[in-house]
Amino acid sequence: MTTQTAIFRIDGVTKSYGGVKALDSVTLEAGVNEYLSLLGPSGSGKTTLLRVIAGFEVPDSGRVFFQGRDITNLPAHERGIGFVFQNFALFPHLTVRANIAFGMANGAVAVSAQETARRTQAVIDMVGLTGMEDRGVDQISGGQRQRVALARTLVMQPKLVLLDEPLGALDANLRGRMRNELRAIRERMGVTFLHVTGSETEALAMGDSVVVLDRGRIIQRGAPDDIYSTPASPDVAHFLNRFNLFDGTLAGGTFIGPFGTVAAPKVTRAARDVYAIRYDRLRVVPLSAPAMGPALKATYIANEYLGSSVMNFFETVDGKVVEVEHHLSLGAPETYEPRQDYLLTWSPDQAIVFGQEGT
Amino acid sequence: MSDATVAVKGQGPSWLILPGIVWMALFMVVPIAMICYVSFWTQTTFNISSTPTLASWKQFFSSDTYTGALWTTVRIWLIVLATTFIIGYPTALFVGLFVKSKTLSTVLLVICVIPFWTSFLIRVLAWRPMLGKEGAINIILMKLHIISQPIEVLLFTELSVIIGMSQIYCVFMVGPIAFMLGRIDRNIIEAARDLGAGFGRIFWKIIFPLSLPGVVVGAIFVSVMVLGEFATSGALSGRKVNLLGNIIVTQVGSLKWAMASVTGVILTVVMGLVIAAFLRIVDLKQEL
Amino acid sequence: MESRVLKPMLAVYVVAFILFLYGPFFVLGILSFQQGPDGGPQFPITEWSTYWYQQIFGLTPPSRIAPLPVGEALIRSLILAFMTMVTSTVLGVMSAQAFRRKFRGSSFVFYLIVLGMMVPGVLTGLGTSLLANNVFGITRHWYTTAFATHVAYTFPFAFLVMLAILNRFDGSVEEAAWSLGVSPFKTFRKVTFPLIFPGVLSAMLFAFTLSFDEFPRSLFAAGGTEDQTLPLAIYGTFSVEIHPNIFAFGVLTTLFSFALLAVYGILMGMSVRRARKLAMQEEIA
Repeated sequence: MTTQTAIFRIDGVTKSYGGVKALDSVTLEAGVNEYLSLLGPSGSGKTTLLRVIAGFEVPDSGRVFFQGRDITNLPAHERGIGFVFQNFALFPHLTVRANIAFGMANGAVAVSAQETARRTQAVIDMVGLTGMEDRGVDQISGGQRQRVALARTLVMQPKLVLLDEPLGALDANLRGRMRNELRAIRERMGVTFLHVTGSETEALAMGDSVVVLDRGRIIQRGAPDDIYSTPASPDVAHFLNRFNLFDGTLAGGTFIGPFGTVAAPKVTRAARDVYAIRYDRLRVVPLSAPAMGPALKATYIANEYLGSSVMNFFETVDGKVVEVEHHLSLGAPETYEPRQDYLLTWSPDQAIVFGQEGT
Repeated sequence: MSDATVAVKGQGPSWLILPGIVWMALFMVVPIAMICYVSFWTQTTFNISSTPTLASWKQFFSSDTYTGALWTTVRIWLIVLATTFIIGYPTALFVGLFVKSKTLSTVLLVICVIPFWTSFLIRVLAWRPMLGKEGAINIILMKLHIISQPIEVLLFTELSVIIGMSQIYCVFMVGPIAFMLGRIDRNIIEAARDLGAGFGRIFWKIIFPLSLPGVVVGAIFVSVMVLGEFATSGALSGRKVNLLGNIIVTQVGSLKWAMASVTGVILTVVMGLVIAAFLRIVDLKQEL
Repeated sequence: MESRVLKPMLAVYVVAFILFLYGPFFVLGILSFQQGPDGGPQFPITEWSTYWYQQIFGLTPPSRIAPLPVGEALIRSLILAFMTMVTSTVLGVMSAQAFRRKFRGSSFVFYLIVLGMMVPGVLTGLGTSLLANNVFGITRHWYTTAFATHVAYTFPFAFLVMLAILNRFDGSVEEAAWSLGVSPFKTFRKVTFPLIFPGVLSAMLFAFTLSFDEFPRSLFAAGGTEDQTLPLAIYGTFSVEIHPNIFAFGVLTTLFSFALLAVYGILMGMSVRRARKLAMQEEIA
């Protein structure tokens, strides 16, 4: 991606609160018409990043560019960047229609009454709020409120919309539906979305590209499947919530962990030595069965149905919980005896090894 | 979301505070500084000049009228503080702790506050037909044959001033104490009761200490108002009780601005000491 | 167990307490119906009449007892209370807005403002008079010096009320408005102000009633007799002989206050009912 097609770019932005760095020299850009997901645990600075771009916070250092212009010191209302809040922040004293028309009716750029009415109605129809126009925003459901928040922002025709955990306040059912809708609406409007989320599934499902943020720094950026299959560091692997991580020691091409010594031909460079194996790469076999690779003895505890897969939980001798995912598309799940010992085994080439010896 | 969301550009820019600061500085701080300054001016019969002198200060401390007013003020303040506390605490206990219904406790508090919508001076004046020789109290007591002669010390004495002030200011005790009592977690009291503690013990070990910040706030309110009083003492004592406030009023009335200022400075000092002492007892910032 | 004995005892006590609070008003109310113009301000009631009420409105033939000089004073007090209310509320809202952000010396400024409600009126009144006489050389009037002291007294109340309201205010609606291209000033007008209006109403009520009844500050800072506010006019009648007309007047001002309180109650009730409606729908949704 080059600077020419970048819709926004932040350059070495640092922001501290009382000595704690919420953002530590972050550089990031997004292209026109792109869906960028920003994944990070709470306290990683992801909301601060959005607020800096929106103009709600001034960075301590670094610059913010939007459409090729330096907007670092431009007040929020002159930026033309949309913002969708986690709690929606609808104007409680106004109707659905007045909420959506608010920006056009009160903005610095004069929009005629007819134009305002036309655009308002158009966006109301687009997000499916027809018939709700004259309701108060407290007389509609959570999902409808989400749509009002989105419509209110989109009607201003921004080139960039920042979404701060926009689905966080919705229940699981609605979240799934709104995910699809968000994608569809964005594609129709041709705007860039920067979507902050704490949920790895949401980030992986929605973004054209995913940025992982930790302790105020960007630790990986890439396409969802790249991030999913090749996390750049143990931290990323941890946030993805799809890997069993084992601490150990990497020495001369072998990894010594709780499962013994395993060959580690390919090592990703990282600050500490970690052996990562994805939940769905583990096989469960009886203790007596011959191991077809590295193996770890563990006690079966419980399982959990997730719809398309079953998650089995095991506990190793040193108290570590290991998760094994079984996709139902691969056949009916096996049943295991609680408090019974099993052998967990995997093919070594499917593991990801992080270590200081890596390249 | 743990990311900090304070310090927002445009939300309450700091310059908004300036008019408020300027107003308070100009019409509160400077006037009080002016009182201090003028207390050292030279007073002639109808005039003052800014020639510095300690004459008014010496006069204050050598005159029994003035020092007497200082002691009367302190005495009346202490008595009224005690009476408002004694009268107000049981009411606050009932409103804040014993009434279970939120509505009833609100209604009771509103009933307590309603008299404040009557003019302060009328409230003071209302005590005259109550306490007078032919006043309501004497008539009732005579009708009940409790007394045969009307009690004359009820009006135009220090007692009438104390009665009037206690009634006017006791609500300022009730409010804050009831508020603190209302915040006490009932479970603590239940737990103590389950452990076999009697009410007296629960009261002294739990309820009273937890209500103390309310008592201090109430005491500050009452103190500030009683120390600055002059209308009640003037109207109900028939000018027999002179507080520092009364001295200031009469001195200004006879254009003795320097002496009024000396009295004002002394009043300020007394007030400052009292408030500082109360804030020593309880760290309000921590409690509220 | 104790509470079975203690609670009724306290209840009886509270009734006595309320009697203590209201007793003088009952007596005052009864005596306001004393016969006139010869009946005195004490018991017994020689004959029930509304003479003293009529006298206040100038409906009685002239007698040896002069009518209360309250007409113009009442107008002055109303105007003064209105001016004070507007100024204090504006200052209170502005200052509380500024306090939404931490700034250097904010706790000092907080105490500076709150001190205004603590300092006795005698002191600010005296000080302002000294200042007006000896530094500025201006004549004291109810609408200049007295107004200044009234605001210095009521502004802290308005400030505290607004501070409490804004502390609970969710700033994200304002940010939402900015992100829609609406300037901070317009955002305040169109979003913040409508949402904090119930608080503004309370601040106004506080400022108005406190100023309307303010006495010690006016006594010093309002100047001569042609500048009397209502409390000063009432105080003036103290020093001379008291007649039941002042009692009748007390009853009337109390009723006026209640009317004011009722208006406030209705306005508040309307906005609270709206809020409750909102809350209920929130639960349904």
